[in-house]
Amino acid sequence: MSQSASADGDGRHRQSGDPQVPGSPRGPVVRTVALRKEYGRRVALHELTLEVGRGEVFGFLGPNGAGKTTAVKVLTGLVRPTSGTAEVLGRPAGDSEVRRAVGYLPEHFRFQEWATAEDLLHFHGRLAGMPAAARRSRIPEVLELVGLSGRGGDRIKRYSKGMTQRIGLALALLARPELVLLDEPTSALDPVGRRDVRLIVRALAGGGVTVFLNSHLLSEVEAVCDRVAVVDRGRVVASGRLGDLVGPVAQLRIAVDRVDRELLSAVAAHGEVTEVEGTTVTLAVDQLDVGPAVAELVIARGYRLYGLIPVTASLEDVFVRLVGGETAPPDGRPPAPGAVTGPARGGGSRAEVAS
Amino acid sequence: MTGALTVARWTLKEAGRRRLLLAAAIASAAFVALFALAFSFLYGKAKQADDTSGLLTLFAVVSQTVLGLYAVQFLGAFLALFLSVGSISADADSGALHAMLARPIRRSAFLAGRWLGYAGLLTAYIVAMSVALFAVAGIIAGYHPIDPLRTVLLLVLESLLLLSVGMFGSTVLPTLANGVVLFGLFGLAWLAGVVEFIGNVLRNDPMVNLGVGVSLAFPSDALWRGASYFAQSPAFISDTTAGGGGIPFFGTAAPAGPMLAWAIAYPLLFLAAGLLAFRRKDL
Repeated sequence: MSQSASADGDGRHRQSGDPQVPGSPRGPVVRTVALRKEYGRRVALHELTLEVGRGEVFGFLGPNGAGKTTAVKVLTGLVRPTSGTAEVLGRPAGDSEVRRAVGYLPEHFRFQEWATAEDLLHFHGRLAGMPAAARRSRIPEVLELVGLSGRGGDRIKRYSKGMTQRIGLALALLARPELVLLDEPTSALDPVGRRDVRLIVRALAGGGVTVFLNSHLLSEVEAVCDRVAVVDRGRVVASGRLGDLVGPVAQLRIAVDRVDRELLSAVAAHGEVTEVEGTTVTLAVDQLDVGPAVAELVIARGYRLYGLIPVTASLEDVFVRLVGGETAPPDGRPPAPGAVTGPARGGGSRAEVAS
Repeated sequence: MTGALTVARWTLKEAGRRRLLLAAAIASAAFVALFALAFSFLYGKAKQADDTSGLLTLFAVVSQTVLGLYAVQFLGAFLALFLSVGSISADADSGALHAMLARPIRRSAFLAGRWLGYAGLLTAYIVAMSVALFAVAGIIAGYHPIDPLRTVLLLVLESLLLLSVGMFGSTVLPTLANGVVLFGLFGLAWLAGVVEFIGNVLRNDPMVNLGVGVSLAFPSDALWRGASYFAQSPAFISDTTAGGGGIPFFGTAAPAGPMLAWAIAYPLLFLAAGLLAFRRKDL
């Protein structure tokens, strides 16, 4: 499946007869300005302003109920904004021409269970204006892409939840979209399925397709996204390149047999002690390459060194700091103990954020 | 237009796959067979009786035929109700609607396609059933109603009216609430038809006005009365209505022109309202 995912690198290569898509190739693929949506008295989106460039994998990250789904629905034209503007490919969101060029995976869906996957794909292909020949060649491709080759004739009723989600993904990719909106695409998938989705997303981006990914799963966003906007209660609370968001803060976690004043003053020569928990000292450093020097120093003073773990702040730290209700220290250091478990980056960041 | 046809085809495919067509065909065949059996039995009994005037036979034939159509009317109405109440809301609940409407299809085309698919099913069902019933009565008893074509047209119109109102409701109400409202209106119109009939018998104007008022508000029963009028024979009608009476569930006169015009405009208005409501709806 991963091989076939990269085979879609020509996703931008449109077949003759496919609808031509408007929009300048230079401008942003998604652009919203002060987008606001109210449902009665509840405000789902406050002044949402963001831009997504061509070929980007954009992560829209936030807890449940933050307004992510509403934002995507505005971009597909399913929901009308109360105020503000939303443009996709240089045209108003929801415009019929725009919808030709957008693939969408809704968050919660139960597709028509009486249909087979191929029925559903043909139907959606027709709705998308794909001629019969294009559908016949494209449908096996997308089934292969999502790992459902040979299962296209099965009724959706017999599909597992994960397979249904794969069909949703196949539908989103069917009409060779320029922009793919994925709303929580891996919520029903097992780890293998999640990895498959990551590979597909990466392959799409490689082919110049823009991906807008809604997620409350930090690991997912961290693994595939170039750029992230963190949204909470309808507002973007932070956005930027992942590296910029995660920040330069590096730490060494030093596990020793005992901690005393002497040790602390010794290691302070290489950085700032930010936390002491039991016999583990956390040292904020400018560069992680001071590690060997710290190790030599600790051993030379007669301490037993059990571990020396380099840590960079994870997106989870940033996320919890931004939306978790914890007040971040003003100096941008990681939050106080208890706010974050502080795992090594990539190690324990598959946490779900509580809503 | 192609979008609407795609959706209509999909709607028919769904009816086939969910065995709606099969179930309807089996139930209809059983219904027609039972009707034929009962009809021939009763017709034979009436012929054997001492019926020099032929009135008893006439009564047996006409009342059997119209009662059979009455049942078809209810079946068609319920089919229209079941098909329409969740026609939009059920797909909205499952999220399938979101995926479909994110495609470059106009919402009006989607709604029109759904309507066309259901309307085709209902029309086929009602035409097949009523033609079968008229054929049974014609073959066994040589029965000639006033105008069987108008009967069928009015029955179809009634089911399309229910379909259109139900689809409008489905764009603004959850499935269950829509079903409750629609079923209530249908029952109310039926009751009002009976009230109007009794009002006429008793020459009670308020009762008649109440019945007419409800018929204007929801003309399903008025259409049935029109359809049933054309399914009777002139002799039967003049006979049963001679003393100012009649059969409370059968029409005794051709539908008035204005009422007919209203009953044609009515589903169109609801369809238009449904299109407007659906176009503006946040999904």
